[in-house]
Amino acid sequence: MQATMHETQVPATRVVPTAPRWVRTGLRHLLMGAIAVVMAMPFVAMVLLAIRPEGTTSLSGMFFSTEFTLDHFRANLQNDSMVRWILNSFIYAFVSVVLVLLLCSMAGYAFAKKRFFGRDQIFWTFIAMLVVPGQVTLVPLFILIVQLDGANTYWGLIVPTIANAQGVFLMRQYIKGIPDELIEAAKIDGASEARIFLQIILPLTVPVLATLGIFVFLWHWNDFLWPLIVAQSGDMMTLTVGLSTLQSLVPSTNSMMAAAAISFAPSLVIFIIFQRFIVQSIAVTGIKG
Amino acid sequence: MSTHVTQPTPPVSGARAFWNRTDAIRTGYAFILPVLVLFVIFRIWPTINGFLLSFQDYRLTGDSTWLGLEHYRYLLQDDLFWHSLRVTMVYAAISVPLTTCLALGLAVLINQALRGIGLYRAIYFLPYVTSLVMVGVIWKWVYRNDGGLLNNVLGAVGLPSVDWLTSSTMVLPSLAIMATWKGVGYAMMILLAGLKAIPASLHEASAVDGATGAQTFWKVTLPLLKPVLFFVIVIETIGSFQVFDAIYVMTGGGPVRASYSLVYLLYDEGFKFQNFGYASAIGVVLFLIVFSVTMLQRLMFGRDD
Repeated sequence: MQATMHETQVPATRVVPTAPRWVRTGLRHLLMGAIAVVMAMPFVAMVLLAIRPEGTTSLSGMFFSTEFTLDHFRANLQNDSMVRWILNSFIYAFVSVVLVLLLCSMAGYAFAKKRFFGRDQIFWTFIAMLVVPGQVTLVPLFILIVQLDGANTYWGLIVPTIANAQGVFLMRQYIKGIPDELIEAAKIDGASEARIFLQIILPLTVPVLATLGIFVFLWHWNDFLWPLIVAQSGDMMTLTVGLSTLQSLVPSTNSMMAAAAISFAPSLVIFIIFQRFIVQSIAVTGIKG
Repeated sequence: MSTHVTQPTPPVSGARAFWNRTDAIRTGYAFILPVLVLFVIFRIWPTINGFLLSFQDYRLTGDSTWLGLEHYRYLLQDDLFWHSLRVTMVYAAISVPLTTCLALGLAVLINQALRGIGLYRAIYFLPYVTSLVMVGVIWKWVYRNDGGLLNNVLGAVGLPSVDWLTSSTMVLPSLAIMATWKGVGYAMMILLAGLKAIPASLHEASAVDGATGAQTFWKVTLPLLKPVLFFVIVIETIGSFQVFDAIYVMTGGGPVRASYSLVYLLYDEGFKFQNFGYASAIGVVLFLIVFSVTMLQRLMFGRDD
């Protein structure tokens, strides 16, 4: 009785008749669930094909077979080249992350808190260079690396990719928000520049360092065109390049899917751990891979 | 981005102030030095050299001849260049609207209070963290004529199978669909941020005035979302003009060059035939396209950061 009384008191702002709440919620779940199934299907198919015996590629075999094997994963991981590619990709990604974080936070700090001649001109030149697509500098960069004897070396692969303007921009914007008083107080206490940077600035920038680190890892782990041209020798290939060569050599769908799944594993782990982080930073900064 | 970054230096007189200032300047330079040096060597110089190379016949052995505009003259007559430009434009014309519209739809769906919305968002976004090579490996099977996922599904509901990657009319739509699958989550997140920035009071006011959900969307939400929407379109356009990885893995530019994109041509000329000068001229064209698209956005909506 109370409920009906309550309902009559609500002014009728909506004239349009609507379905009951649970129906609407249910329909939404149905729609979004269906989209989620479509979006997840390629991943599901990859995993299912990778764990089925050789030759199982039919839909029924994929979904309903009871046979299960890890042979494809084992074979891929026992392939010395594959192990080498994984190692190369990890080196490429990890070293880049460390260097980008260090160098970009240093530069970001100076651009945010130091005054020096040409500071803003230099900073905006960095930003302006973002409109030049990487493919435009591909040929000149390759020539430069060849001239410096950097082809098929780790440094030749890594060093050209670490002067990251987006990273400098992110760090500068974040460090600008740190109060000057903190730095002044440390100066009065006699802290050196290096100490101020390492013990005051860096600890305060951990959230943005994490964001940048995640993205730099993903960019490098997934990078293809630059490693393809600069690290072509078999033992210097990264995993993406190795995978693309396997693709033309290995006829087995099941084995290729296992290889793809292996290449995806680190990204998936990072995504699961830092999902909210990644998603939020895109919303806030529009950082682009 | 704010343009007024420099604050006036407080006036301090005497030799001490001078040393303080030069000290600050020195430490300032010291902190940016590593990035600055790397940036000049590996970003600015290659960009300048890219333009210079496009006027030369360059050999790795060191002998190079100045050709002036020869490469550009050749470019204008090169059927393959026009073909690859057309392929790239068709690809962009399919993938950009597809991604943008779907991303807008998903952003609206995700922007509601519903239990489990975080899971849906994570699943829609997941393809974004993959490499295009891995995506290519999976989707090559998805698109396979015989026993591929899509043709199997089509067969199961009694529809004829489609030559997704082996027909020259279907190959670009197929690649665009795959790119949409991979990229829609990113565009969705940008649009979602735009949606969340619209004050709820505007929607409430619109509802009080008796507008239906659809009316509110078209008359209130969409106009307010225009700058963000345009930003997404620009990002997607620039991205699709650089399409390469997936094509390299899935079709090799085929069938009969039906998916031979601009960057594929650049790659072949530069790294297969070692025509560094000519490849650089193609790079310059790519730069001009990307630059014009970016400037168009700047002109229409001002600075986006």
